[in-house]
Amino acid sequence: MEGDDSSRRTTNADVSALNSESSDSDSSEDPEVIQGSTFLDGEEENDPDVPLKRKFSPSTNEWLSKLHATEDFSTWQRIIRLDAIRANTEWMPYSVSQAAVSDRRACRLAKAVGLKDYDHLEPYVIFHAARLVTILEAYALYDPEIGYCQGMSDLLSPIISVIPDDYEAFWCFVGFMKKARHNFRLDEVGIRRQLNIVSKIIKCKDSHLYRHLEKLKAEDCFFVYRMVVVLFRRELTFEQTICLWEVMWADQAAIRAGIGKSAWSRIRQRAPPTDDLLLYAIAASVLQKRKLIIENYGSTDDIITECNSMSGQLDVWKLLNDAHDLVVTLHDKIESTF
Amino acid sequence: MAAYRADDDYDYLFKLVLIGDSGVGKSNLLSRFTKNEFNLESKSTIGVEFATRSIRVDDKVVKAQIWDTAGQERYRAITSAYYRGAVGALLVYDVTRHITFENVERWLKELRDHTDSNIVIMLVGNKADLRHLRAVSTEEAKAFAEREKTYFMETSALESLNVENAFTEVLTQIYHVVSRKALEVGDDPAALPKGQTINVGKDDVSALKKIGCCSA
Repeated sequence: MEGDDSSRRTTNADVSALNSESSDSDSSEDPEVIQGSTFLDGEEENDPDVPLKRKFSPSTNEWLSKLHATEDFSTWQRIIRLDAIRANTEWMPYSVSQAAVSDRRACRLAKAVGLKDYDHLEPYVIFHAARLVTILEAYALYDPEIGYCQGMSDLLSPIISVIPDDYEAFWCFVGFMKKARHNFRLDEVGIRRQLNIVSKIIKCKDSHLYRHLEKLKAEDCFFVYRMVVVLFRRELTFEQTICLWEVMWADQAAIRAGIGKSAWSRIRQRAPPTDDLLLYAIAASVLQKRKLIIENYGSTDDIITECNSMSGQLDVWKLLNDAHDLVVTLHDKIESTF
Repeated sequence: MAAYRADDDYDYLFKLVLIGDSGVGKSNLLSRFTKNEFNLESKSTIGVEFATRSIRVDDKVVKAQIWDTAGQERYRAITSAYYRGAVGALLVYDVTRHITFENVERWLKELRDHTDSNIVIMLVGNKADLRHLRAVSTEEAKAFAEREKTYFMETSALESLNVENAFTEVLTQIYHVVSRKALEVGDDPAALPKGQTINVGKDDVSALKKIGCCSA
């Protein structure tokens, strides 16, 4: 793949190929745009008044009605409130002003957004939860194809911790979700594409480990599902997450800015920017356990247990180093097939 | 069974699934049963997680491998893949939120679509400690369970009320089904609400560890 844009385009082609079996809205040419609406694309959309009035093509309506048969806005509201209340509080030391919010202000906001069952919580937790509700509800209206899916609060929480204004945090989240939203699609196209890439990276890097996974019928890499969906948020600490995400975003920004591979490689030992740094990092975390997996694990269940217990065990710098090494050696192979 | 740790000595391995709406307390029921832990701020489950615990039924050691699933509809496709091979299920609702009880019917259908018809199912009304907030009466749930031929129990993961009983009851019933099948004993409608056989296929997680039991 020659240009920086091409890897993005192959992504689209892959999604289209995966979509070929279904006739619903997934036939969308560009995974970053909801078919029949353009609201996730373009600067002019940064007007908070716009998103509520959307036009959908008939196929999108069909898709939406399928989803809405089981999940409607009130369902999302209910789940958002549940998740907001139980968001973790690790961000607290990193945002002094929000941590010091007054009881009155926190409760006023909580009341305004209809939060329930928060009496036992500290003001800063209530305040954080209420902000999560505000922005996640706005997002569910803004992007009704996705609405709210559990895991999204994990992605938003670090953002609102560092951005005190809701409107700014909202648009940051919208930008973040442009890519991440595909993980939450009901048809699982986005998540499957990403799991395929992780599988491909492992296959190219370590055929011995890959054969072992095949033997266990685990080569689909479903055991890293959670890492993909919430971008390592459950495995890493707050500080590590911010670190990984920023490196990941820097890569994506470099691609958007059209920074050539050669200029970039001088900065970072020949690892060109990639849209999928996260997936290389996930593959790296599995490869770090290769010996254990090959020698001791005899079923998929063992690997799932291992992956679910990585929390607090990872060194983010080692992870990034390993991921970059994988990018250097494999990006041509991986990106030419996806 | 080299894959399992040395301290794992068991006679039977049964796979159970925990299903039900988001926030009904599935993960806390699991952590209460397997680790005796409870966390008021436990995170939503993304995809699936599982834990194990062995108990003694009669003179046998029964190991339960319990799969905890994400509650949101959106994750149904991935979570239902994990129903395969399950011989027991705890279908959980929150006694303080009626909607979670209303959705039990959909969960039941989902479960029956994806599992063996002889799966042992227990309807579990969790958060029974929140007496002042109760929105689903015991009678209503009991009537539903009778109609649907499932077992029923109210629990509180927070107060550790009936959690042990609920899991033990399900495991014991599965054990009875399996050992009855092994012995080829005839019907005993009093002990079980419905069919007496559980399909213990070769690739089922529930396969018996020790030979002889299945081949009778």
